[in-house]
Amino acid sequence: MKSIQNSSKLVLLVFVLSALVLGCKSAKKTAATNAANEKIKMEREANLRKQKEDELKKREAEETAKRNSESAMNVMKENAPKVKLGEYFDAIANADNVASANNSINEALAMFASSEAPVLVVISEEAGKKDYDRPTTIKAYLNYLKDQKKNVNYIDNLKVDGAGKITEVELRKNN
Amino acid sequence: MIKIKFLSALLVSLCTLGSLSAQTDNISPARKQAIDSLALEKVRDLSKYISIIGNKKTQYSEANRVMDRAEELFAPESEMGVSALTKKEVTYYRVRKYFEHLMALNYDKVNIKWYNIHYISDLERQPDGRYVGVVTIYQRFEGESEGGLKYKDTTKKDITIYVERKKTQMQGRTVEFWDVLLGDIRVTETSE
Repeated sequence: MKSIQNSSKLVLLVFVLSALVLGCKSAKKTAATNAANEKIKMEREANLRKQKEDELKKREAEETAKRNSESAMNVMKENAPKVKLGEYFDAIANADNVASANNSINEALAMFASSEAPVLVVISEEAGKKDYDRPTTIKAYLNYLKDQKKNVNYIDNLKVDGAGKITEVELRKNN
Repeated sequence: MIKIKFLSALLVSLCTLGSLSAQTDNISPARKQAIDSLALEKVRDLSKYISIIGNKKTQYSEANRVMDRAEELFAPESEMGVSALTKKEVTYYRVRKYFEHLMALNYDKVNIKWYNIHYISDLERQPDGRYVGVVTIYQRFEGESEGGLKYKDTTKKDITIYVERKKTQMQGRTVEFWDVLLGDIRVTETSE
């Protein structure tokens, strides 16, 4: 009878110990799961932060590119009449015949508010003080290019009216 | 005492005038160089105009327009000397008359070229404020008729150059500029 009692106690002890062992294992498992979850959470947060930073950088880069592009477009817009008029100057000076030169002259004159628009040629400049040749008009200057068959002055500055027509040209000697 | 005062006033006046003159004469070598080049360019421009006017292929309306432009290069009443191997005397025409004469030359083909264009007398400031110099050019003239008749000569010519500082009103502002004007063109040599 006593041995049965002892056996029962032993079984109970084994059971209790097993329960304790199993309980510990479960607690450990829970702790590990929690740690893993925490790690995942931290990683997610870090990823989110990185994503936000990347997006911010991307947006800033896009805005910079847009600004640069707009600025380049403005420069292009400002220079467009200069480039176009310069091309007409070359076409007139290098025309094969009078008729071709006259066509280019008429096309070029369409860029101007008047065929009498003044043309100034800077021959030298010192300390901001400019020396000019005798002022002429755009019509006379375009004919000059046709007659002399040389385009030795470059376009330094153009004045344009509200309608986008050129009202004054400042040229400079190609030295 | 009065005499001393008068002399002092005269001295001050002369100093002031001298100072004003020095101020207007104060042109740096770089600016002077630019003016020299501008004047030579006007002579080259005239050379081109003369070759266009003389060219028989140039349309009448174009020749007239070019004559106007060429005339604008000259001071009023300037004259151009014309010589020939067959004549001892040099004939002088007002520039417009010369251009008209050139356009009406009785050849079927005319070729005129100016070369060796250079200063023989640098632009110097005169008491009236103008700069005056002389440029020499050599002109090769070749005229040819369909019948084969040819005339050729080379003429050395001296061109007086006047450069003056002027002002003009342009779109509500004053613009100062250097006005280069060609004066008489004198024939100094004629050879084959």
